[in-house]
Amino acid sequence: MPGEVYSGRVALITGSSRGVGRLISEHLLLHGATVLGFGRGEATYQHERYRHFQADIADPNQVLQAFMAVRREFPALHIVVNNAAVLTSQYALIMAASAAKSMVDTNLLGAFLVSREAAKLMRKEKWGRIINISSMAVSLEPMGDTMYAACKAGLTVMGNIMAKEFAPFGITVNTLAISAIETDMLRQLPQETIQEVIGGLPLPRPAQPEDILNVIDFFASGRSSYITAQTLYLGGVH
Amino acid sequence: MVPSQEAILAIIFQALTNLNLERDASSQVPLDVDTALFGGASALDSLALVSVISDVEMAVSDAVGEPISLTDDQALSQQVSPFTSVRTLCAYVLQLTHERA
Repeated sequence: MPGEVYSGRVALITGSSRGVGRLISEHLLLHGATVLGFGRGEATYQHERYRHFQADIADPNQVLQAFMAVRREFPALHIVVNNAAVLTSQYALIMAASAAKSMVDTNLLGAFLVSREAAKLMRKEKWGRIINISSMAVSLEPMGDTMYAACKAGLTVMGNIMAKEFAPFGITVNTLAISAIETDMLRQLPQETIQEVIGGLPLPRPAQPEDILNVIDFFASGRSSYITAQTLYLGGVH
Repeated sequence: MVPSQEAILAIIFQALTNLNLERDASSQVPLDVDTALFGGASALDSLALVSVISDVEMAVSDAVGEPISLTDDQALSQQVSPFTSVRTLCAYVLQLTHERA
């Protein structure tokens, strides 16, 4: 992609310390964005245009405090990627309530809170791009992923309704459902399960970073102002 | 820090000013304490009211240095809705910030 297409843009990525969040963060930095990372821990990398905010998005108060800090430093926010997620893969019969609640709090409530606060800032600019990172688990409905897949499905519904509410402010909301990509989260799953899932895809290979970044660029583009309330599944899942 | 009544009014008027920037000349919202925000007498539709509340909530939070919610259960349980007019909204914000202090 050409040069610094994100120059002048401020992007917020949740779960920016590793995995897909870090991938997207580094991509946006490479192409000129200022990136604000939200993570539970400390920053795992440094860049002159990267600013890390330590916040657990499952905690509403921490989200609000983090956004107050953001507003003190950054008058505008253009792009949000709701990437942070936790996964406990377990049969429903023995899924601990605490693990189920943790997934709801981070994967759904956290994304809601971040989107809400971000939209308040984006509204001032009459421009914004909110991108939710979902999963092929929504479509494949694998055993063990009851709460994880339900939360990710919820992201789509949440995003579609926010797309309506935020449209008057020039904010689009879209969802990218990614297929299997080598991350810490994926490594929690048995290898045979991963192979079975990948083998069942119309395009039977793991997702590559470029596959994800291509869609991020598409949703985040200024040319995508007429693209909202969409969910795009990688790998041919639908 | 507890903002003064004047400071809170300034925040609310700024929110209304932001709103007026998006409206045409014939539908400007008056910057007056008796301006109705909600109900039959209000010139604001639901989206405009949400925008004003959102701006006020953000600015008050930044002013007091901690998150303030204007739309939680406490707001809904008030005998007179805080969103009836600029005056009632100002009084409610003042009450909230004093309770926090």
